[in-house]
Amino acid sequence: MPLREISFGQALNEAHISEMERDPKVIVFGENVSSPWREATRGLKERFGRERVRDAPITETAFIGAGVGAAIAGYRPVVELMLVDFGLVAMDQILNQFAKSAYMSGGVISVPMTLRVLTGAGTSSGATHSESLHGLFAHMPGLKVVVPSNPYDAKGLLISSIRDPNPKIFMEHRLLYPVKGQVPEETFEVPLGVANLVREGKDITVIATSLMVQEAMKAADELRGRVSVEVIDPRTLVPLDEEAIVNSVKKTGHLVVVDEDYLHYGFSGEVVALVAEKALKSLEAPPIRVATPNVPLPFSPKLEKELLPSKEKIVAAINRAVA
Amino acid sequence: MSLNEAKTAEIYRIMVRIRTFENAVRRLTKEGKIPARFGLYTGQEAVATGVSIHLRKGDQIGSTHRPLGHLIAKGCDLNKLMAELMGKESGFNHGKAGPYHTFDPSVGALGANGIVGGSVPMTAGYALANQLKGERNIAVSYFGEGGSNQGGVQETLNLAACWQLPIVFVCENSSPEVQRMLGHEIDYPQLSIDNISLRAKNYGMPGSTHTGWDAADVYKAAGKAIRRARIGKGPTLLEFKVHQLEGNLEGRLEANEKERQWDPIDLLKQMIPQKLDEQIKADEAAKIQIAIDFGLRSPEPASEQAYSCVFKEAD
Ligand SMILES: Cc1ncc(C[n+]2csc(CCOP(=O)(O)OP(=O)(O)O)c2C)c(N)n1
Repeated sequence: MPLREISFGQALNEAHISEMERDPKVIVFGENVSSPWREATRGLKERFGRERVRDAPITETAFIGAGVGAAIAGYRPVVELMLVDFGLVAMDQILNQFAKSAYMSGGVISVPMTLRVLTGAGTSSGATHSESLHGLFAHMPGLKVVVPSNPYDAKGLLISSIRDPNPKIFMEHRLLYPVKGQVPEETFEVPLGVANLVREGKDITVIATSLMVQEAMKAADELRGRVSVEVIDPRTLVPLDEEAIVNSVKKTGHLVVVDEDYLHYGFSGEVVALVAEKALKSLEAPPIRVATPNVPLPFSPKLEKELLPSKEKIVAAINRAVA
Repeated sequence: MSLNEAKTAEIYRIMVRIRTFENAVRRLTKEGKIPARFGLYTGQEAVATGVSIHLRKGDQIGSTHRPLGHLIAKGCDLNKLMAELMGKESGFNHGKAGPYHTFDPSVGALGANGIVGGSVPMTAGYALANQLKGERNIAVSYFGEGGSNQGGVQETLNLAACWQLPIVFVCENSSPEVQRMLGHEIDYPQLSIDNISLRAKNYGMPGSTHTGWDAADVYKAAGKAIRRARIGKGPTLLEFKVHQLEGNLEGRLEANEKERQWDPIDLLKQMIPQKLDEQIKADEAAKIQIAIDFGLRSPEPASEQAYSCVFKEAD
């Protein structure tokens, strides 16, 4: 497949176009989705019409719930949530109705909806405009959680998500939108549940998701020649490619998990638990988690920086782990 | 209740204060001294001012993502407000809140809010506390027409009516004529009615719609609703039509000729003698310069501050 360089945002846009052309049951809605300012959905209304592409009022409970219902009734909604923190006003529709309906029905219905959600800190936006929260959704049975880290995966994973017959939360770090990368022009899938070996190494395994993959790579670059770092991006947290993680730790004997989501009861703990259960004897040192402490993210750029994982913190963790 | 000369001048002064403060914020944001952009209140000054002029220190407000007008009209200290917007230690909330979550309990300014509609249920709680204490304080809950659609807002209207809470709901309905904003209609409308005050009837409370750029109209309507709440007759839903003249989250910056007709400050200025107008503008500019200097001089919070206040120590 010939590649060209496009941004993360354009990649998401192409995934929408691909699936809306392929399947007339794919419909799109959310706040301002017909706006020219919003890159992922830009131009969809002009191309596919206002029946299939709808702006919704600022009523997350209503329009996310309407997506769940339309999915049960045979459509394949892609619903956009402007920021993950705003989804908290719609907890029932997301965590009860969206996540559990298929199971509760004993399989007589399915909910093939994709909830696209913008996430992420680093813009000094304060405690209700900065969260990641993938751990919260991954905790809930019934939701697939997709966390792309680059334009190629953004396109391939969104296409796979739209085609998958289950409830999916598709989480897009807003600082990734301008990031460019090589992406095929045609339609392709990146399967859900298959990790990406971003860099091969032999001394330590670093597991990172979303924006943190970049930070992990910067850390690996900085340590080049001293520590051989293997970087793995799981790409989806549910389903999780356990084998890729476990096999890597069996090879390297060391583990650092990097996560922008909160430290406690989250993804980083999940990975460490997995390795403890399946590869404890391979560990030559205690695993280290580099994640955001359980503190609501402050407005002050200085305080925010203090809390977020960074290249420097990852380098320090790797050095400690292999010391 | 109509406006006399002294009240008119007082209202005008506070409106000028808000406008001057926000113009400074606009400039400081461009210069990177305030680290993030957020919603401003330009064109809406008459609403917060005409409401707050009736409020006591012990009354509370719950605000929005466009909070500066509400906070300044309620009497928040300008120095600490400016320092908060700069993320400084000397800010109201030590740089943790920023514009979206500023709290100043000393004057009853109980929260700007980054979640659209987020402050409304909480503000019913301030009203509940007032009712329980029996001190005849009231609460004012601000939200936009977009926010008015949120389930939490609709639920709170009902709750406040059922419990006859001492609260006034103030919906600032910004016209999409001026600019189309974040979350506002792009292709589909976000409301299928023109007047949000129509909804009051469904919940069993009085509701009315007013001209939000006319300070006299705001003053009168708010006075009536606030008196009603204060004497225990329950909630009111007031709707003020407004035009957001500049500085929206994603909007343009310059007000044009057509928009001037909706500028509450230009309108009220006609009632103010020229000398007094000049005096007010000079006074307020000086105050705001002091706030800017205070903010710029203030230190950043110490790094350890990031971890404090998650839990309070037991007293
Ligand atoms: C629950 C929630 N959804 C979406 C947003 C993003 N957002 C911030 S301001 C805004 C528009 C609010 O419109 P309105 O309530 O009418 O107030 P206005 O901006 O017109 O003053 C939106 C959608 C948010 N902050 N919170």
